[in-house]
Amino acid sequence: MPHISLSAEKLWTVAGMPITNALLTTWLVMGILILITMLTTRNLRLIPGYGQSIVELIVGGLYDFFASVTGKHIAKFFPLLASLFLFIIAANWVGLLPGVGTIGFFHGEEFTPLLRGATADLNTTLALAIVAVFAIQYFGFQTVGIHYSSRFLNFKDPIYFVLGILEIISEVSKVVSFAFRLFGNIFAGEVLLAVMAFLMPFVVPLPFLMMELFVGFIQALVFSMLTAVFLNVAVSHGE
Amino acid sequence: MEKLGIEPSLLLAQIVNFSIIVLVLAKLLYKPVLSMLEKRRRQIEEGLALTRVLREEEEKLKEKKQKLLDESRREGQAMIEEARKQIKEEEKDVLAAAHQEAERIIEKGREEVVRVRAGMEKDLQRSAVELAELMTKRLLTSVLTSEDKHKVVAKHLRDLETMKHINK
Repeated sequence: MPHISLSAEKLWTVAGMPITNALLTTWLVMGILILITMLTTRNLRLIPGYGQSIVELIVGGLYDFFASVTGKHIAKFFPLLASLFLFIIAANWVGLLPGVGTIGFFHGEEFTPLLRGATADLNTTLALAIVAVFAIQYFGFQTVGIHYSSRFLNFKDPIYFVLGILEIISEVSKVVSFAFRLFGNIFAGEVLLAVMAFLMPFVVPLPFLMMELFVGFIQALVFSMLTAVFLNVAVSHGE
Repeated sequence: MEKLGIEPSLLLAQIVNFSIIVLVLAKLLYKPVLSMLEKRRRQIEEGLALTRVLREEEEKLKEKKQKLLDESRREGQAMIEEARKQIKEEEKDVLAAAHQEAERIIEKGREEVVRVRAGMEKDLQRSAVELAELMTKRLLTSVLTSEDKHKVVAKHLRDLETMKHINK
């Protein structure tokens, strides 16, 4: 039976900072994204080649998609939203690669994989959720101004005051829901794949692998889309 | 929290990691790609606008060309008509000149004929006179006396003188 751990395994400790396999995969994902970006955008031309066409298709498609949600604010939000989508989808799919979770080393009886899906670690998903919710508040204040605080602290009316408290709870719960939704889906998928591969190693895991590819895409889309919607709600406060 | 594997240092590291990704991708990916898309969109728009303008220009030029062609055709037709008229007039002139020339040549011929005839008549008269003189001489020598001869000769000389005056 494969070893299933809810938390990422610590590999080393550097200057008091634990290096987990999920953190290692995060760096790998960052490296892949930056490398692909540098390779495809170093020589942009008006008449694009294959690589440039694909990158333009992805970036242009995401831009139009998020523009349909956020409207005129798209220019401000796009770097965050597109990065959320690209980072999450890359992390989800890298977690499905052969070797991730299976190559590692033994500490006696215990097996420690060298790499673990970055989004199958709550630290990563929580970090993304915190950045997203922080960005929602930041853009809310930036666009609406100080009046945005009336969303949470409103002393004009007892009902608004209570609503403000509910809004605060809602914002905190957004962090939790963002983080656990993504973590839950990806971690569950990895557990499912590990169990299927353990029970029937050949052919049978393939449909589940395909499903996990789809889940990885959907979760990236849901995370970035919800952030876009919440951003839109925040900048529309008081309108 | 510990069971879930949440550690503040790892959380902070992931926040930093994601921030780096946002910044790097914004600078290296989104900005250049979106500006390239915008540039291409502008160029396509400009190209389409230019095509529209050129098409309109082409239509105008076609109309102008057609107008010029029609005008040229009309002018050409007019020139041909004019040339025909001129040719007819010149033909008339040439014919008239030819008639005049022919008349002149005929007249000249007539004069020549008259002149030659007059010359011939003179020659004939002269020959006739000479023949008469010769016959008279022969007749006189055989029939008449010398006195008669003188009288006859004198008479004929007078007659000849008279004829000469008349012929002049």
